[in-house]
Amino acid sequence: MKKSLLVLVTAVAIVGAACGSSGSSANSSSTIDPVLVNGRLPRFDSPVTLRVATHDSFAVSQSVLDEFEAETNINIELLPSGDAAAMTNAAILTAGNPVADVLFGFDENLLGTVLENNLLLAYQPERLSDVENSFKIDTSGFATPIDHGDVCVNFDRSAFTKSGVSIPSTFRDLTDSSVKGDLVVEDPSTSTPGLAFMLATIATFGGGDDESSNAAWLNYWKELKANGVAVVDSWETAYYGSFSGGSGKGDRPLVVSYASSPPAEVEDTTLAVDQSPTGVVTSTCYRQTEFAGILRGSANEKAAAAFLEFMLGASFQADVPAQMYVYPVVSGTPLPPTFEKYTAPVPTPLSLPYSDVAANRDRWIAQWSALFR
Amino acid sequence: MVGSVPIGESSSNRSLGLRLRGWWRLLAAIPPMLFLGVFFLWPVGAILLRGLRPAGHWNLSVFSDVLSDRSMQKVLWFTLWQSVASTLLCVLVALPGAAMFARYRFRGKQVLWSALLVPFVLPTVVVAVSMLGVIGSGGLAGVNLAGSIWAILIAHVFFNYAVVVRTVGATWSTIDPRLEESARALGARPWRVFVDVTWPLIRSSVAAAASIVFLFSFTSFGIVLILGGIRHRTLEVEIYDQTAKFLHLDIAAVLAIVQLIVVVAILLWFGRSQRRRTVLLDQRSSSETEHLPASSRQRWFIRSNLALMAVLLGLPLVVLVTRSFSTPDGWGFGFYRALTDSRGGSTSFVPPIDAVVNSLMFASMATVLAVVLGLCAAWAIVGDGSMRSDSHFSWWIDTALMIPLGTSAVTVGFGFLIVFDEPPLNMRSSLWLIPIAHTIVALPFVVRLLVPALRSIDPRLREAASTLGASPRRVWWTVDVPIVGRALAAATGFAFAVSLGEFGATAFLVRPDRPTMPVAIYRAIGRPGEYNFGQAMAMSTILMALTVVVMVMIDRFRPAGVSEF
Repeated sequence: MKKSLLVLVTAVAIVGAACGSSGSSANSSSTIDPVLVNGRLPRFDSPVTLRVATHDSFAVSQSVLDEFEAETNINIELLPSGDAAAMTNAAILTAGNPVADVLFGFDENLLGTVLENNLLLAYQPERLSDVENSFKIDTSGFATPIDHGDVCVNFDRSAFTKSGVSIPSTFRDLTDSSVKGDLVVEDPSTSTPGLAFMLATIATFGGGDDESSNAAWLNYWKELKANGVAVVDSWETAYYGSFSGGSGKGDRPLVVSYASSPPAEVEDTTLAVDQSPTGVVTSTCYRQTEFAGILRGSANEKAAAAFLEFMLGASFQADVPAQMYVYPVVSGTPLPPTFEKYTAPVPTPLSLPYSDVAANRDRWIAQWSALFR
Repeated sequence: MVGSVPIGESSSNRSLGLRLRGWWRLLAAIPPMLFLGVFFLWPVGAILLRGLRPAGHWNLSVFSDVLSDRSMQKVLWFTLWQSVASTLLCVLVALPGAAMFARYRFRGKQVLWSALLVPFVLPTVVVAVSMLGVIGSGGLAGVNLAGSIWAILIAHVFFNYAVVVRTVGATWSTIDPRLEESARALGARPWRVFVDVTWPLIRSSVAAAASIVFLFSFTSFGIVLILGGIRHRTLEVEIYDQTAKFLHLDIAAVLAIVQLIVVVAILLWFGRSQRRRTVLLDQRSSSETEHLPASSRQRWFIRSNLALMAVLLGLPLVVLVTRSFSTPDGWGFGFYRALTDSRGGSTSFVPPIDAVVNSLMFASMATVLAVVLGLCAAWAIVGDGSMRSDSHFSWWIDTALMIPLGTSAVTVGFGFLIVFDEPPLNMRSSLWLIPIAHTIVALPFVVRLLVPALRSIDPRLREAASTLGASPRRVWWTVDVPIVGRALAAATGFAFAVSLGEFGATAFLVRPDRPTMPVAIYRAIGRPGEYNFGQAMAMSTILMALTVVVMVMIDRFRPAGVSEF
C-alpha cells in the first residue's frame, strides 16, 4: 500500500495566511496575470519556496531543476504524495488550505474530479501556444497539459518467434485461441494502466451507457475471460511477475503496459527496431495526458505560474521521456535516441471525453468487477 | 527457588509504597496515551467524522447500506476467516521453531535468531514477486498457487513466523527445564508434559504473538492484492479503495468502524485468555535452559525445523538474492553498481548510501521513542504485578496501543492531513511524521514483549526490596530493569526492524523527499527495464544484509545482570 496523499500545504502558505502577510487572492474566479517577461521566466527579488505535490513516479533531472531555481530564485520542494488518484483525493480533502502550491500528475481520468471540486486557480500559460492542440483538453484554463503517454498491450517478441504464433494486432486478436492464456492485465479498480485499458475497450466496443451486464464492451471482456486473461492488482505484478518479455519473470507473452516500455527494455542500441525484446500492439493504445495546476489557497501563485511555464519550456519537455517514461506535449521537442528509435508510432490513440469518464468511471468499474469477482 | 506460584497466592501484605506506586503508574501511562491520542485517535476520529457527519448532520443510513451489501459481507467474512486461519497456521508452524531456539544449542543459532527478522522487514512487493518465482506459474515449487488462498496463507506465515518464534522463544527460554524434567521423571509422556507444564507457562506469550499475527493478517493489503488475485479482498483493501481511490469517506468510515469493533473484540478475547493464565516463575538464564541435542530424536527435531525454515523462509529469499546478481551480462554486481547511477542526475535518484542513512536515522529515532513510551506503557499495565493491579486499566492501555495495528494506514494518513493543518500542530508535511508513524506501529511489539517479562517478576522480590528501604524508583531500577533486560533487547530489535521495513503507514504521509530503503525499492520496481528491476532486488538484498547486521548487534547486547539471573 502506499501512497499517500497529497499534498500539502506549505508551511509558508499557512504561516503567511495566519499572519495576514502576503495578499493571496483566494478567489477561484480570478485569474493570474501572465508571468513571463519577454518570453523569459521572471526572477524574484527574494527567495521563494514553492511546494509541488506530485505522484510517486515524478522525476526530473536535477540539473534542469537547478537551472530553474537559479534563473527565478524559486526553491522547489517536491512532495511525493502517492499514486495520482490518492494525490488528487488528498488535494480534495485539503481544498482551500492545500499542502502544496502546484499539483502535478493528474490525468484525464481524474481531470473531471479535479475540476468539479474546484481545486485549482485558473492560469493559461503563455507557452500553452506551443502545445499540440490535441492535448488542450481542459478549455476552461485550469489544468495545463504537461506530458502524455499511451497505455498499450506489449508483446514478448521472442515468445512469439519461438511459438510461431502471429503477434496480435487488434483487440479482436486477443480473444483468438492461439493466444489463450497469454494475456495479463491490471485490475482497473486498483491500477491506472488497468483503468486505461478498460476505457480503451469501452472506446472500441461502445456500450458505455449500458448499465446492464450485457454492455458491448463487457461482452468483449467475457470473451477475454474465456480466453484465459489473467487479472492482477498492479503494473508491477503484471510486468515483473507475470509477463515473460524483457525484464519480466513470468510466463505470459502479452501484458498491458506503456508505449514507452519497449525503449526501456533495450540495452543494446544497435539492435534493429524489429529485433527489440518487446513491442507494442498500437491499435490497443489509450491516450493518457498528465496535467498540472495551481492549487487554490496557494500563497505563491506567481511562482506557481512560473513553474507551469517552466514545465512547458524546452528543457523540461525534453527531459520527461528519460525521467518519467512519458512523452512531451510541445511539438518538435527532440526525443532521446532510444525513445526516438524504439517507440512505435501510435497514429490514432483511443480516448474518451473526460466528462464521460468522470460521470461513469465508478459504475464501469463496478460492472467490470461484477464480472471478475 | 524452583517452582511457580499462580498469581494471587502471593502477598497480601502491602507496604505504604503501594499508593505511591499507583500514582506513579498513572503518571507512566500519560506519555504513551498522550502520544496515541494526538497521533492516532485524533486524526482517525476526525476522518471518521468527516465521513459520517458531512456538512454538520449525521449520515447514519450509510451503515445499513454498507452492512447489507452482499459484496461487503463477503469481504468481511473473508477477512475474518483468512486471518484466523493464518494465525492458527502460523502458530502451529512456528511453535516447534520457538521450542528449538529455547531449548537447544546449535551452530549458527545466534545469527539465525537475528536473521529470522529479515522477512519481516522486506517490502511486500519484492517478497511477493519473489514468491511468485516459487509458488507462481512456472515457479520452483512446480505448483501454481498464485491467486489461491494458499498463497495468502503461506505468505502470512512467511512474514509472521519471526513474530511467534521470537516472542514465544524469548519466554520459553527463561523457563526452568527442570519443571519439564520433573514431570517427565514422574512418568508423564512428552505430549502431557507440553500440555500440563509447558503450555501454561508459554501461553500468555503465545497469545501475545498470536494477537499480533492476527492483526497483521486481518489488515493484510499487499499480499492479498499481489498473491491473492482479484477475487480475494480484505477490509483493508476495500477501505483503501473507498478512501484513496473513490474518496467515499462515508463508506470508508463504516468499514473502519467495523474493523475497529472486530479488532477490539478479538483483543478482548486474547486479553482474557492471556490474563487468566499468567503464572509467576523464576527466570533462568539461557545457559541453564539450553543444551546440545543429546539424542538422535532431538537432532532430528532440529534438522526438520531448519529444513522447514529453509523452504518456507529461505526459498523466496534465495530467489530474490539470485535475481539481484543475475544481470543481462551474466552473474555479477551489475545491478549493485547501477544503484549509484543517477540516470543523469534525476530527482528520483536515491544514492544508496543516503537511503541507508535515512533508514537508519528514522529507525533509530523510532526505536528510542517506541522503547521509552513502551516501557512507560508496560510499567503502567503491569503495575506492581499484583492481582489487584491486573485491572481494566491495564487492559485498556494494552488494547489502545494495539488498535493502530488493526487500523488502515490510509485512514490515519488522510486523518493527519485534515487535523495537523493549523498551528501549533501544523505538521502535515513534517519529517517528524515518519518516525512517529513508525513508532505507532512498533509500540505494540515493545509492549507485548515487555509485559509478559514484567508480569513474570515475582512481586515478592519487589516487596523485599521496598521492605529493605528501596524507593520505588530504586526498586524499578534494581529489580525490574535487569529482569526485563532480555525482553528489552528483543523489543529494541523488533522496533528497529519494524521501522526499517515500514512502508505502509508512511506511504500515506505527504512528506518531503527523504527516501528510505523501502521507498527506493518501490521507486525502482515501479519502472520498466531489466536494470530497474535488478536495482530493486539489489537494494532489497542490501536491506536484508543490513537487517541481519543490526539484529546481530542488538541481540548480542545483553544488559548486565541478566546473565547472572
